[in-house]
Amino acid sequence: MTRGMTFRLLVGLLVTAAALALAGRRLHVLYRLGRLAQPVAPGRTTGAAAVLRAEVVEVLGQRRLLRWTLPGLAHLLTFWGFLLLGLTIVEGYGALFVRDFALPVVGRQAWLGALEDTVALLTLASVVVFAAIRLRHAPAREGRRSRFFGSHLDGAWLILFMITNVVWTLLLYRGAQVNTGYFPFRSGAYASEAVARLLEPLGERGNTVVEHVGVVLAVTVVMVFLVLVVHSKHLHIGAAVANVALARRPRALGALQPVRSGGREVDFEDPGEDDLMGVGKVEDLTWKGLLDLASCTECGRCQSQCPAWNTGKPLSPKLFVMGLRDHALAKAPYLLAADDAARAALPDAARAEGERPLVGTAQENGVIDPDVLWSCTTCGACVEQCPVDIEHVDHVVDLRRHQMLMESAFPEEAGIMLRNLEHAGDPWGRGGGHRLEWAEPLPFEVRVLGDDGADRLPDDVEYLFWVGCAGALDDAAQRTTRAVATLLHEAGVSFMTLGGAETCTGDAARRAGNEFLFRMLAQANVETLDAVGARRIVVTCAHCFNALANEYPQVGGHYEVVHHTQLLADLVASGRLTPVTPVETTLTYHDACYLGRHNRIFAPPRELLGAVPGVRLAEPPRTRERSFCCGAGGARMWMDETIGTRIGHERARELLELSPDVVTAACPFCILMLGDGVAAHLGPEPARPVEVTDVAEILLRSVLPARAAEPAPEPAEPAEPAGGTTP
Amino acid sequence: MHVVVLVKHVPEPTATWSFADDLTLDRAAVEGRLSELDEYAVEQAVRLVESGLDARVTYLTLGPAKAVEGLRKALSMGGDDGVHVVDPAVHGSDALATSLVLAKALQHIGFDLVLAGMASTDAEMSVVPAMLAERLGVPQVTFGGDLAVDAAAGTVTVHRDGDDATEEVVAALPAVVSLTDRTGQPRYPSFKAIMAGKKKPVQTLTLADLGVAPEQVGAAAAGVVVRSVSVRPPKQAGQVVVDDGTAAAVVADFLVARGFA
Repeated sequence: MTRGMTFRLLVGLLVTAAALALAGRRLHVLYRLGRLAQPVAPGRTTGAAAVLRAEVVEVLGQRRLLRWTLPGLAHLLTFWGFLLLGLTIVEGYGALFVRDFALPVVGRQAWLGALEDTVALLTLASVVVFAAIRLRHAPAREGRRSRFFGSHLDGAWLILFMITNVVWTLLLYRGAQVNTGYFPFRSGAYASEAVARLLEPLGERGNTVVEHVGVVLAVTVVMVFLVLVVHSKHLHIGAAVANVALARRPRALGALQPVRSGGREVDFEDPGEDDLMGVGKVEDLTWKGLLDLASCTECGRCQSQCPAWNTGKPLSPKLFVMGLRDHALAKAPYLLAADDAARAALPDAARAEGERPLVGTAQENGVIDPDVLWSCTTCGACVEQCPVDIEHVDHVVDLRRHQMLMESAFPEEAGIMLRNLEHAGDPWGRGGGHRLEWAEPLPFEVRVLGDDGADRLPDDVEYLFWVGCAGALDDAAQRTTRAVATLLHEAGVSFMTLGGAETCTGDAARRAGNEFLFRMLAQANVETLDAVGARRIVVTCAHCFNALANEYPQVGGHYEVVHHTQLLADLVASGRLTPVTPVETTLTYHDACYLGRHNRIFAPPRELLGAVPGVRLAEPPRTRERSFCCGAGGARMWMDETIGTRIGHERARELLELSPDVVTAACPFCILMLGDGVAAHLGPEPARPVEVTDVAEILLRSVLPARAAEPAPEPAEPAEPAGGTTP
Repeated sequence: MHVVVLVKHVPEPTATWSFADDLTLDRAAVEGRLSELDEYAVEQAVRLVESGLDARVTYLTLGPAKAVEGLRKALSMGGDDGVHVVDPAVHGSDALATSLVLAKALQHIGFDLVLAGMASTDAEMSVVPAMLAERLGVPQVTFGGDLAVDAAAGTVTVHRDGDDATEEVVAALPAVVSLTDRTGQPRYPSFKAIMAGKKKPVQTLTLADLGVAPEQVGAAAAGVVVRSVSVRPPKQAGQVVVDDGTAAAVVADFLVARGFA
């Protein structure tokens, strides 16, 4: 063996052994940390076909990354670059042992050489794109608007630098190989050949040295890269693949998960002594939760879409995940200490990290500030965007659960809503006695369960009309309820309501973390619905829809639930409702988060509006999957919005830029919030009033002969401030 | 120190109430709750202990079997134990009889400080704390806006907000104090606290245990008799007058027809 080859092999293997030892130690710590966490829900790790599909589409196909064309493309190139450059790593290691090593079978074919060189150059090109994006959107320039705000910037640049190193060291030794005659490819590897021409003046000796040193450098760079990856956010290279495999399907939206402890659902009637109620310490997360944290590469797509972040609030889903991850890693020595003595022997900083409260103010040295935790509207824009399937909303709610159920620590205003739900069955605290007032102005009789003396739904009833608290008690929502009832009446659909027997579905309580109250309300409602024999239910509220359709199965309630826009669209399509009167108006439609993103009901409301003659529909810039929240979700409807600007006002501003005559939505809480926002923008005496109403109202105007519909209300007045719900 | 808080399980104020044949409220037909105004007294008792007062907090209630739910709610907010006086003979009692039973119960369990809400949200009499102090022969301070206890001096200090002035009143213990809804927002118990509240001891007493004769209480012994109960007709929606030029005349006619002009 020549001295050169001995040098290669020795240094290459030493570097590799050292790097593997360092990386292995780190991975062992991460593994032990994962073992310490809670088990995942049963069923998470099954479904091979779905896993395979997700891996192909989301990982190999990079579907969600490609929604953002340029950065998506650059990432696609880097990702595939790394997969294919994996071949050159094998070649590099082969070259430690055999100077002219080539891959078996295809290892000397021109096309492979060309492919490897092309991939190397494209990877380099994407590094340039990434660098340009990072410079252009640098937090120093754009501040909070930058999606990289708060990300670990140095680490990101270091990785770009390392990718560059991978490419140039590769091309360097390949070029030298060409000159010394040990290159496996006779032709095709055009970039390597170009480098070879540059190195030619060094002569044979020079090129031999460059080849030996180059191979060792290339191997070293790869190994340093490996060590860096497992010690940084670039762990996502591996973690994301696993995370996509274990993701909630089809997506981590819609239903919230039950409260689980040790992988089992907590029995709220008779909880175990040591049952966990949500996440109170970082190790209360499941190992899948920790994997979520490890998968985040701080790209900030979530942050760019977040309604809280975009209105000046401290919550960014990215910073939330980063905060938890950095804490989990810093707390690892504390958690993994063998016993109290070992714990006491830890450095002060590590011990202090172990004692930090998970939720607490800066003064309390908390990991997550209460203002961060309670700013979330659970709109799911972050989950929708995340290319690696991080389940932000579930984690936010799990942290809220602990604050609510164990600490009773939550914004005071939310307490009013919770008490009202407990005592009156609705968030306003009005009581069941008021639940039929909406029907009084109608010219026809609305059937109410029990009116005919029967305690079950008669056979002729096609739908149970679930009115909802807003639909029964809020003025604007009552108009929607009447419009839907009138349309069903016109179409000859027989329906019945529960009247005073209905109570809140518990959506807001659940999203505020009060699983106990949610279950009480849900169980009572399921009992009522089952007792009356309800099968098909129509609802007007996106939140009721989500609870009844997606969450009640968790408490044993199984119904066929449709949103009124779905039912009305069907009735129009089947000719049972015919829009005839032109409604000459320009309108825009706002997708409610819990109708759109959470439940994929995008088409029916648009079909309805499209069926009305005269209507011109203007889509806002942020629409459908990327719709911007109204600010009411996640129980935020019932809390004061004192930080930053109001989410509903921001959305109203965006909608008003389309100069619509009417802003439509299909959720009573969106209509409340947008009504408030529109009124705030237009001022008390607008030159051109803008109406905010439900799509059903527009359909009604077209189905009924001209002027027979209810007169439009006065242009929206500022709604009662959220939380202004004193009983 | 033994702090006893009087709590009442009342019909849910937002529910629709109905009346039984004997003209008492039909308690079986309506959900009940711990009177919202009593929650303020509970909160103050719990805060006294939290701020370092060495005291045992007992909740005392008089009511039907379901009234124990009021005790459980109070116990979920804090405190140590509950006492439930339950006896069929009590049904229909007025404030005088209620105060008699509560006074006997307080003498039975002992007390240094008795706290109560400013009124119940069902009968809204406000008089029981005063009657109680009279029967027990101890000082009474009613409608307190705050509460401070000096255990060493054996006194309780209370501020009373009036229309024109705020009085600072000091009373020697033992005493009876009723507290308003301006004393501080009652806490929302955590699930953990609710479960803990379920495990706290509750003692049940009957009239016989307290030495009260059945003839002294109930509807028959009441000083007032309810002759009839009529349900108030539901509020009618107001008439909306849209001004098409004739609104002034319509409004004028409306006023004239009702004798306002």
